[in-house]
Amino acid sequence: MKTKLLSEKWWMTLLTAAGLLSAVNVFADPPAANPSPASALPFPLIERFENYTEKDGLPAHKAHAVLKASDGRLWVGTYNGLLVRAQDGTYHRYGPEDGLSHKMVMCLVEDPQTGDIWAGTMRGLNRVSGGRITAYYQTDSGLPNNVVYGVGIREDVLWVATAAGAGALNLKTGSWKIYDHNNSIMHEPWCYSIACAKDVVYIGVWGGGIVEHDPKLGTFKEYRDPDGDFQYILVPDSGPINDITSWVAWDDGVLWQATYFGLARYDGARWRTWVAAKSPLASDFVNFVWSHRHVGWVGTDRGVSVTDGSTWVNYLVGEHGEGLMEIHRPNQPVEKRTMTTALPNSFVLGIYVDDDDVWFATSNGLSHGVFAPHSKPATVAEAR
Amino acid sequence: MKPVLFVLLSLLAAPLGRAAYEEKDPPKQLNLEDKPPAGVRQLPPRAGTNEDRYPYYGNVPEGMVPFHTIEPYYRYWTTRLPFRGPGRDYPDPPDLKSLKVGLLSPPSYGPEGARGARTKKGVELAFAEANAARKPGELPFEIVAREDSPQWGSAANIAVDFADNEVLGILGTIDGDATHVALRVTLKTETYIINTSDPDPTLTETQIPWLTRILPDQRQESFLLAEVAVRERGCKRIAIFRESSRPGRVGVMHFVNFIRRLGCPPVQHLLFKPGDTDIRMQIQAIKAADVDAVFFCGQPEDIGRFAAQFRQAGIKAQFFGFDRLEEDSFRQGAGSAAEGTTIAYYYDPNRTDKPWLDFAARYEKRYGEKPDSYAAYGYDGARLMIQAIEHAGPNRWRVRDYLANLDSYDGVTGHMVFDGRWDNIAPMVMGEFHQGAWHFRPAPPMRQEERPTITQR
Repeated sequence: MKTKLLSEKWWMTLLTAAGLLSAVNVFADPPAANPSPASALPFPLIERFENYTEKDGLPAHKAHAVLKASDGRLWVGTYNGLLVRAQDGTYHRYGPEDGLSHKMVMCLVEDPQTGDIWAGTMRGLNRVSGGRITAYYQTDSGLPNNVVYGVGIREDVLWVATAAGAGALNLKTGSWKIYDHNNSIMHEPWCYSIACAKDVVYIGVWGGGIVEHDPKLGTFKEYRDPDGDFQYILVPDSGPINDITSWVAWDDGVLWQATYFGLARYDGARWRTWVAAKSPLASDFVNFVWSHRHVGWVGTDRGVSVTDGSTWVNYLVGEHGEGLMEIHRPNQPVEKRTMTTALPNSFVLGIYVDDDDVWFATSNGLSHGVFAPHSKPATVAEAR
Repeated sequence: MKPVLFVLLSLLAAPLGRAAYEEKDPPKQLNLEDKPPAGVRQLPPRAGTNEDRYPYYGNVPEGMVPFHTIEPYYRYWTTRLPFRGPGRDYPDPPDLKSLKVGLLSPPSYGPEGARGARTKKGVELAFAEANAARKPGELPFEIVAREDSPQWGSAANIAVDFADNEVLGILGTIDGDATHVALRVTLKTETYIINTSDPDPTLTETQIPWLTRILPDQRQESFLLAEVAVRERGCKRIAIFRESSRPGRVGVMHFVNFIRRLGCPPVQHLLFKPGDTDIRMQIQAIKAADVDAVFFCGQPEDIGRFAAQFRQAGIKAQFFGFDRLEEDSFRQGAGSAAEGTTIAYYYDPNRTDKPWLDFAARYEKRYGEKPDSYAAYGYDGARLMIQAIEHAGPNRWRVRDYLANLDSYDGVTGHMVFDGRWDNIAPMVMGEFHQGAWHFRPAPPMRQEERPTITQR
């Protein structure tokens, strides 16, 4: 009996120590020398940033939008003109002196059928075709308002989100349609963003949530913050996180909503919402989101968050300008790494992502994110 | 304890010791004190958080907050959003000849034109005084004045024009929709707005860290009017009669919610169009509802005319309305029907403190008329913008930091207190019209109900 008691005590001591050691191990930061392989993540990791600022020829501190065209050229909408970067690294700037309607370029899209680039500015819309610019204004076209925050193309129709409604330019006929509070579901026509999906167009509305428009049926549907008040989220994951939509993005059945109150995602069946205080989201102030194969690349005022909805990677800028990477896996401790390079600025306004690399438009320059070696999905189904 | 069970518990305890996602530090406060500013209700500790920094929801009592018996998943507005972008160290613009400030005014020919003109007079007086006080070699201040047009989105184009003119800040405007669209642009152009005259409660709800509003909004007016109508006067059957417009819709929004929470939902909610003269149907409906109070929202000349028609039709209900019923056009239209009308107002215009009397005298000397609240807030807004530029220099981001970090400011309109949304939540006053004149008194003290039981999620 005595022996048995001693034995039980011994076991308890040993196992308590084992449990504590296990706990200590979990609490400790993972060793930087043993990072998890990028292939273990559902999206590629950025290995390094290559930055381009005014010193490198950018015409302004601030870049609002970036787009890699199908011919490989990179288009950058800046505070001071539209920049195109050829694959050999040379730049050409288009400004008002070249016919650009205004120097502040806010958004970009490529017409996949013609290769034309459409650029929305603070005063008018522009088509760049064969090096020639054609400008559209509210006074000489069907553009609803000169301030163009978002552009998108679906089939033969160019969509614009403006300060006074959404516009649809039929690229075959040249005819315009305007959608605002008079002829659509939106109660106020302050449009901020366009996301063209397979069958519908999503319009991000400042104060109106997200408007879904089916061009074939001519129908409108609204997605609104279900609690109806801006000062809180009553219940998470119940709908758009807020009615003030700063950006929308769609790819392969997944809709992302950026707001200045956090981030939301809708997969057609279920909404998810995230705020910074209760999730890995870098900041509630979300300027932009790019959707690529179910993954949201989120531009905030505090860096970039990348997520598929469960795994997150944040790219932040430290106090001394150093690059910081945080990897948040479900039910695992946060893995923090210091990078050899960093974003040029944590205020991220625009993002372009494909399977090869990623580009960031920030408040202090342009950045090229070079992926760590990763296996590219051969098919969309595989990417899922 | 069985050894095997202990092993399992020990091993399970380890991963549970750390959350799946690391909780981040709360955002760093920006030069803020530990407690809310003086004169503003101190929030009791809120279940689930100790981070509340600013009075919540326009400083209204807890019982008036939507879903106040439930602790929501997450609250905004209790801290101020920072601006994390660059710009503060950018060099000053070269070859500056003046320090420009944009002034966005409503169209002079529209319904807000006269008020916009009075705001402009206040702004111009402040700029004239500031320029007269400039020392040799100092750059003068310059107003870049633009008029809005009654077209959706016009203010956005003007805000871009301000950016083209490289203004250091913007003042204006009265229309809620115009200020909203201008704010969206200035968020991108990174130019700070001081709003001096838009009472739209939704303006600051967007929480964009590029705007301060220096006049209390209609959320605060609505609470006081609901408090007086229901609790002080005992009104139970209240009708809403408002303009069919966006200002009318968002104007009454909170009054309707507050009286509902006080147990008296509106018994009628009727609309009119500006300039309407035939309101027989609405009068019939209000008479049929046997109301004891009517809450008006619209232009004072319309309300004055309607008040007179209501009395002629035998409606004895008490009349309530927003600040602009203080304007002469209301009493002129209402005649004797104005008697007893109750409004919420920003400050006591009959007060005799030196800053107010000195300002009123200078204003009257320059323009030959007494200043109203639009002129006074225009003056205060301009003075505040000038102060920010003098402090920060010709740099939009430093001007923003100065203004966005203010907790209080003393203007000719009185002591201002700014909350987590950059709204002035200084206590307001109540005005009552008796024997041909408005009489003002401090607003009734807020009743601090006991905190209800919070349902934790």
